[in-house]
Amino acid sequence: MELSTQKDLQPPIMPAEEKAVSPWVEAWRSFRKNKLALIGTIIVLFFVLLAVFAPLIAPQGINEQVLSKRLQAPSGEHWFGTDDFGRDIFSRVVYGARISLWVGFLAVIGSIVVGCLLGVVAGYYGKWVDTIISRIFDIMLAFPSILLAIAIVAVLGPSLRNALIAIAVINIPNFGRLIRSRVLSVKQEEYIMAAKAIGMSNSRILFRHVLPNSMAPIIVQGTLAIATAIIECAALGFLGLGAEAPNPEWGKMLSDAKAYLIQAPWTMIFPGLAIMLTVLGFNLMGDGLRDALDPRMKN
Amino acid sequence: MKKRNGIWFLVAALLLSLALAGCSSNSSSGTNDEKDNEKGTDTEETSSGGTLVFGRGGDSTSLDPAITTEGESFKVTKNIYETLIEFGEQDTEIQPGLATEWETSEDGLKHTLKLREGVKFHDGTDFNAEAVVFNFERWKAGNAEQFYYYNSQFGDKISEVKAVDDYTVEFTLNKPIAPFLKNLAMSPFGIASPAAIEKHGEKFLHNPVGTGPFVFKEYKANDRITLVKNEEYWQEGLPKLDEVIFRVIPENSARLNALATGEVDLIDGVNFSDIGQIEGNPDLQTFERPSLNVAYLGLTSTRGPLKDKKVRQALNHAVDKQALIDAFYAGAAEPAKNPMPSVVAGYNDDVVDYEYDPEKAKELLKEAGYEDGFEMELWAMPVPRPYMPDGQKVAEALQANFDAIGVKAKIVTYEWGTYLDKAKNGEADTFLLGWTGDNGDADNFLYVLLDQDSIGSNNYTYYENPEVHELLVKAQASADQAEREKLYKEAQVLIKEDAPWIPLVHSRPILAGKADITGFKPHPTGSDLLATVEFK
Repeated sequence: MELSTQKDLQPPIMPAEEKAVSPWVEAWRSFRKNKLALIGTIIVLFFVLLAVFAPLIAPQGINEQVLSKRLQAPSGEHWFGTDDFGRDIFSRVVYGARISLWVGFLAVIGSIVVGCLLGVVAGYYGKWVDTIISRIFDIMLAFPSILLAIAIVAVLGPSLRNALIAIAVINIPNFGRLIRSRVLSVKQEEYIMAAKAIGMSNSRILFRHVLPNSMAPIIVQGTLAIATAIIECAALGFLGLGAEAPNPEWGKMLSDAKAYLIQAPWTMIFPGLAIMLTVLGFNLMGDGLRDALDPRMKN
Repeated sequence: MKKRNGIWFLVAALLLSLALAGCSSNSSSGTNDEKDNEKGTDTEETSSGGTLVFGRGGDSTSLDPAITTEGESFKVTKNIYETLIEFGEQDTEIQPGLATEWETSEDGLKHTLKLREGVKFHDGTDFNAEAVVFNFERWKAGNAEQFYYYNSQFGDKISEVKAVDDYTVEFTLNKPIAPFLKNLAMSPFGIASPAAIEKHGEKFLHNPVGTGPFVFKEYKANDRITLVKNEEYWQEGLPKLDEVIFRVIPENSARLNALATGEVDLIDGVNFSDIGQIEGNPDLQTFERPSLNVAYLGLTSTRGPLKDKKVRQALNHAVDKQALIDAFYAGAAEPAKNPMPSVVAGYNDDVVDYEYDPEKAKELLKEAGYEDGFEMELWAMPVPRPYMPDGQKVAEALQANFDAIGVKAKIVTYEWGTYLDKAKNGEADTFLLGWTGDNGDADNFLYVLLDQDSIGSNNYTYYENPEVHELLVKAQASADQAEREKLYKEAQVLIKEDAPWIPLVHSRPILAGKADITGFKPHPTGSDLLATVEFK
């Protein structure tokens, strides 16, 4: 059963392969050839390692204020300079990776779980269930996402956790719609008809067949969504609706630094660069994944 | 396809980071042209004194000083109205104003004031004893809602105001008020023209008529207030300027920009961090306002661990005030140890401050049973104040100070009105706030901010000590200045021991103006008389 399911990832028109290579292996081969995607992956891995080993890498804690050493330019002692509290910006950027990646991953996993559930239910059952869920998605998508996030944080109160929840919520419809359309097309496949015919239960069909066959686009969309989530987290932090002081969230660091833009540009450059690089990394990686996992892109 | 996507994402990421950075830029455009026109007409007039444009952060709420408590209003009315007694040029010592001499009876219950002769209101009517009586009767007839300051400073303690002759007024009190003469010098007690009050009725607050150096000309809400020279002013040779325009520019850096571009001539509310930039510009100069304020962190004595005196003392030991001053006041402040600045008579310089000593703080916490620290809220004001230009930053620095002794502070903020209301209700664990003195008397700091009678008004910490209360009330009623000072000094010792606050700093607020301005003397109370100002 397992084998046949995976094989079905490939479009039915394709003739059966001579060598039985897992489509994942095949995808990896194609991904490996994509230089940009590899660069993206390396950037992402770099930041992940930074986040995991932050206490080992960062020379100082996140809130070691030395007010007499405020706004110092980058030097051997402080690689990225110091901020207006005399805190080491390098250490704060390193610790900031933890916050941004944490929010990025968790928020996206949250929206995938909820989005998938709703999307699968909407696509598989159709009729009024579909109508209700789809209309809710439409309404949510009608808002500019950051505006919706601000509204949610305003209701829940500003904090990092609530920013995370808001980001997860605003991304739900993206995944929900994606899954729904996948389910709609997979539902028509013969093997699903067969499963139905032999009397398999709805939930078993959904979770053993329909969902696994919809994983590839979810992974691609998920990777790209992490990039957006990191930017949204930074935007909320910048607006004072995300991480609370003294957490070194990159967006908040930018906002704290804006008063010193001319006097001490390094307070803004390094957190900004960190945001840009992680987002770029996830985008390049997601792009590569899309190419690798999309059967139509195969040569 | 792949490559192009990569580039697009790169561009998108760059644009997004730019957009984030751009989010907070403030716009101050759109007023330049207008000002150019103004200047144009000025030069055509070729008048001697010229026009001074004063840029400030907020609009006046009223042009009748008696019905307001708010500093931005007094800034303007100070130049339209005069009081019976005046403060010194840059202090709060009493000087002759509309009254030339005064006499107080032995028991402190009768004050007799001789009035200046030959003074006319802007509408041409005479200033005399009848006018003074008329003003006091008007304030007396109103309630606290209407005339807040009259009620808080004099209330029902003035039993009678009588015109003895045309230029002599006699006040009879039923209880002595020690700072009576100082109170008379406060801006809300500017003497207005009785004829104008009767003529304009309810609209008097937009049609001010006083005896001051400038005459009211025009008011455009949230934009400008124009005053012109009082040609009939009783002081020979004053005012020097022909016209004064008060402009509202809310944002500190936008206001500084307006000064740099020549849109305004004089501004208050300068960020301490901008001082260097101003002093480096040969076209500009800075002015320092003498300090009559205090910034503090209130420790609400009815909440959690803060009920314990030792905990409050521990927090006092945890704060490095000098570092705060160097970082956020550019050195333009003194560390505070008492709830009032040292220029106020009765200041106790013998009080020893809790020195910055985290170890000692930890010890005190241990004694109080909080060896592992505790969690609390730290409220940061959302608006810049003269005594604290950036509450959020100071809060973050304090947070780190407290963290060092194991106390975890969560920074909280609300919209300004809500902030004050909630703090007044005792809902804050610890909160940043401050006070600028109205008349330079100790009563105006200690009683107003820390007496148990003031709980529910300005005593936000709910500090209650019957001994302190007794001292403060006694000092309020005593006519003997030496005795009053002794009582206030004692009160400060008790307050220090109880530590209801962490007094932080006394700041010297900074103003900035064109380099050719002379004769400008910022007043500690925040209301500046512009009569002597001129352009070189």
